[in-house]
Amino acid sequence: MTAGPIITPTDDQPSSLWRDAWRRLRRNRLAVAGLVILTVLVLVAAFGPWLTPYDFLSQNLDARNLPPSLAHPFGTDDLGRDVLSRVIYGARTAFLVAVLVTAVALLIGVVLGAIAGFYGGAFDKGLMWVTDMTMSVPQLLLVVVINASLKQPITLWMEARYLETLNPIYRNSAIIDFVLVFGSMALISWPPYARLVRAQVLSIRNRPYVTAARALGLTNRIILTRYVLPNAAGPLIVAVSAGLGTAMVLESAFSFLGIGVNPPTPSWGNMISDGLRVWTNYPHLLLAPAAVLAVVTVAFNFLGDGLNDALNPKGQK
Amino acid sequence: MSALLEIRGLTIDIDRDTGPARVVDGIDLAVEEGESLGIVGESGCGKSLTMLSLVGLLPNRIRASGGSARFAGQDLLSLPQEALRKLRGSQIGFIFQDPMTSLNPVMRVGEQIAEALIHQSGMAKPAAMERAAELLELVGIPSPRDRLMAYPHELGMRQRVMIAIGLAGSPRLLIADEPTTALDVTIQAQIVDLVRDLKDRFGMSVVWITHDLALIAGLADRIAVLYAGTVVEDAPVEVIFDRPSHPYTRGLLASLPTLTDRPMTRLPSIGGTPPEPGRRPPGCPFAPRCTLATGACDAAVPKLAAVPGSDPRHRVACFVTAGEGGQA
Amino acid sequence: MIAYILRRLLLWVPSVILVMLGVYALAFYGAGDPIKLIFLRAPGDVAYDPVKIEAIREQAGLNEPFLVQFGNYLLNLVQGNFGNSLFSGRSVWAMISAAAPVSLLLGLMAMIVTALVAIPLGMIAGMNQNSRLDYTILGTAVTLWAIPAYVAGPLLMVMLLAILPKGAMPYGWGGLFSVKIILPLIVLSFQPIALIIRQTRAAVIDVMTEDFVRTARAKGVPEYVVALRHILRPVLTPVVTQLGLIMITIVNGAIFVELVFGLPGLGRLTVQALINSDYPVILAVTLIGSFLVMASNLLVDILYPLLDPRATDPKASRV
Repeated sequence: MTAGPIITPTDDQPSSLWRDAWRRLRRNRLAVAGLVILTVLVLVAAFGPWLTPYDFLSQNLDARNLPPSLAHPFGTDDLGRDVLSRVIYGARTAFLVAVLVTAVALLIGVVLGAIAGFYGGAFDKGLMWVTDMTMSVPQLLLVVVINASLKQPITLWMEARYLETLNPIYRNSAIIDFVLVFGSMALISWPPYARLVRAQVLSIRNRPYVTAARALGLTNRIILTRYVLPNAAGPLIVAVSAGLGTAMVLESAFSFLGIGVNPPTPSWGNMISDGLRVWTNYPHLLLAPAAVLAVVTVAFNFLGDGLNDALNPKGQK
Repeated sequence: MSALLEIRGLTIDIDRDTGPARVVDGIDLAVEEGESLGIVGESGCGKSLTMLSLVGLLPNRIRASGGSARFAGQDLLSLPQEALRKLRGSQIGFIFQDPMTSLNPVMRVGEQIAEALIHQSGMAKPAAMERAAELLELVGIPSPRDRLMAYPHELGMRQRVMIAIGLAGSPRLLIADEPTTALDVTIQAQIVDLVRDLKDRFGMSVVWITHDLALIAGLADRIAVLYAGTVVEDAPVEVIFDRPSHPYTRGLLASLPTLTDRPMTRLPSIGGTPPEPGRRPPGCPFAPRCTLATGACDAAVPKLAAVPGSDPRHRVACFVTAGEGGQA
Repeated sequence: MIAYILRRLLLWVPSVILVMLGVYALAFYGAGDPIKLIFLRAPGDVAYDPVKIEAIREQAGLNEPFLVQFGNYLLNLVQGNFGNSLFSGRSVWAMISAAAPVSLLLGLMAMIVTALVAIPLGMIAGMNQNSRLDYTILGTAVTLWAIPAYVAGPLLMVMLLAILPKGAMPYGWGGLFSVKIILPLIVLSFQPIALIIRQTRAAVIDVMTEDFVRTARAKGVPEYVVALRHILRPVLTPVVTQLGLIMITIVNGAIFVELVFGLPGLGRLTVQALINSDYPVILAVTLIGSFLVMASNLLVDILYPLLDPRATDPKASRV
């Protein structure tokens, strides 16, 4: 019954997806709080060395296990090290690991997901099986297996390199730890990104405008960068925000279990694990890193939820 | 004679982030005991919301903001939720549009009918199931006792189950909200016939909401035409078809195909679209699309008023055609 | 129905074997030579005798091709033989059967607590969407989800320190009905509760917009009937499908909870095995964990048609 030209009145101000998303995000107070906390964390991690009142390694055996005071806001640990300085350095560790792991996982995920989406066939089937499998094994156990599997070959390789070159860098066990932590974490973190990109490729590949563009000689690479990734940007941002939080928690979980970053490099996880041994007498040693980790992970989740609501307004999980 | 249902100046607003937007703007309607009223209008004109507002079933963020609605002497808009709940089903029954989504997919058909009886009439379960079978038979479902244990997706004729649910509480007023829109044309006619029969047997009043004028020609005693949240014309069915007064009603009738049309002729259509909620013009809401509009139409909103010289129940809201009397 | 279950089972068994193959392959190619590890661990200066090692390898079947070894491992597994610990030499099966009851009881209790707490809270939040109550429940859920068990546990303990004397802190295993289980149970339930609250809430919000809920209200049944019969039932379907995810959360969480509260369960066994590079134990625990998750997924597949009668009907399209 309705016919004729349909002219819908438009808002005076042009609105774009990103502007709208930003407006929705700003209205979400919890998400803004999360964003502020994480910004502070990034700044603290970046400028840590200039912020810390003490060196995180310098021991002062005359000032062991001190409760929080003006001189040491978070107190000192059993070797007289300043806990605040160690927490700040812990932020560096946590952030470094989270960013690197997420970057590697994202890269693997986008490449594999795109290949699977474009070429399909056996590769696609295999990839889907691997992601299914990865997702049906409890993450932590999988990491434990990968970690245990990688430790031996990497250590042996490093030793061989050392004997060959006598370069002391190959003797640095901290590097082995980092490679192991990154390696196993990146190896379990890419499947969600791969699935996301694959799904986007599949949904976009057959859209009429892409078929039309393909008829004009468009390559897969251009379809990927010009069509798929911009469309996947929203969900990917949400996934990355969640992934950063998860990676940070995983790093501290590893360090807590004693298979991640090893002392004396400070990590919130190994600080919690150290604090757990003496917490009935010196609760501040446990409280400081645990509370900071709790605040940061909660901030990541509030921001992630806010981003999800802002970027996928109608998408319900 | 006082009407069973009398709506006066009803307004309904949608709460938007930018403030309330009006979707129903002062509706006046009445339904007599035993009468069947057809409400016709395009989607979005507020016809369903008006009826849902009567029994407190408006969706989130949509609320009745003014006016009154009296049903059998009580003002529905000021009744507490619990009183409205007792009214639903037992006094005012509903039949909804799409039976596929309006029936609970994980609940057996018998239980869906019986629960209304159990909770409204206080029946015991076996008696309620027995009554549910009778209702299924009444709406023309074969071997009803075997159907009680079926899930909706296992049944054809789901719209008849919907009707049985609407009838379960023997309501005085049955509101049918586009019950045939999702159905084949042949089934549509069967459903219309069924509802007409049931109305006569139970002596209920029926309000039939539709956007299809032709469909309710044989069902309704009276038709109210809604446009952008107001009643623009309200008259007995034969008056609407023979002597429509409002330009919108005339437009609707002109766009109906008739058997005398030559094949391949284009049906006339009404240009433009109805105003968005919250963006209605200051004057007559139909003026921007109206070929007869004058300066007066843009300046003030015409009130629903009796059409001189026509049927005493014929009322129209139009500055231009109201004076024409009964000619069409 | 039985045919449906059998079909599911037939699809399930190969995928379990494939997962086992994947995990076993990681261990096989990554772990290095187990025999050398034994020698490295042996006390004192043990002569590194290649001939002797070769003999042991031959005897242990370690010179067989990969697939043969995997087959042997599976055959032993079926007979309840998980091999022996590289570290203590004890039978892995004995170690696991000593530790498993603690973890299984704890995990089962956590599931029950989760269902009892999270589904009602999620219903309340969803049915009062965007109210203050909703925001409170949702905010709590996000917080519980975000804080890992090894942070939540210690934080709760520090808080308890303000009330309880030092000696009275719960630590260790006192059986299912001891007071000591309360704190670990709460901490282990945090993440699953958060997960289910959010799932339930989202599902309720989804179902509330369904036409059949409006139909139910239009019948005039009381609101509690609408909630329990019309909303809860369809909400349970998507929530139950999260069983596998809950299992993952619980298996992951149990590792930390057992460590923090000193419970002698599978989690602690895993961590010890990890520190000792005790590969047979790690392998066995990982397989058990994956098996539990995959068994939950199978259970979901079997339960699904009971929850949603449309699922087994090939004609019906899911709305």
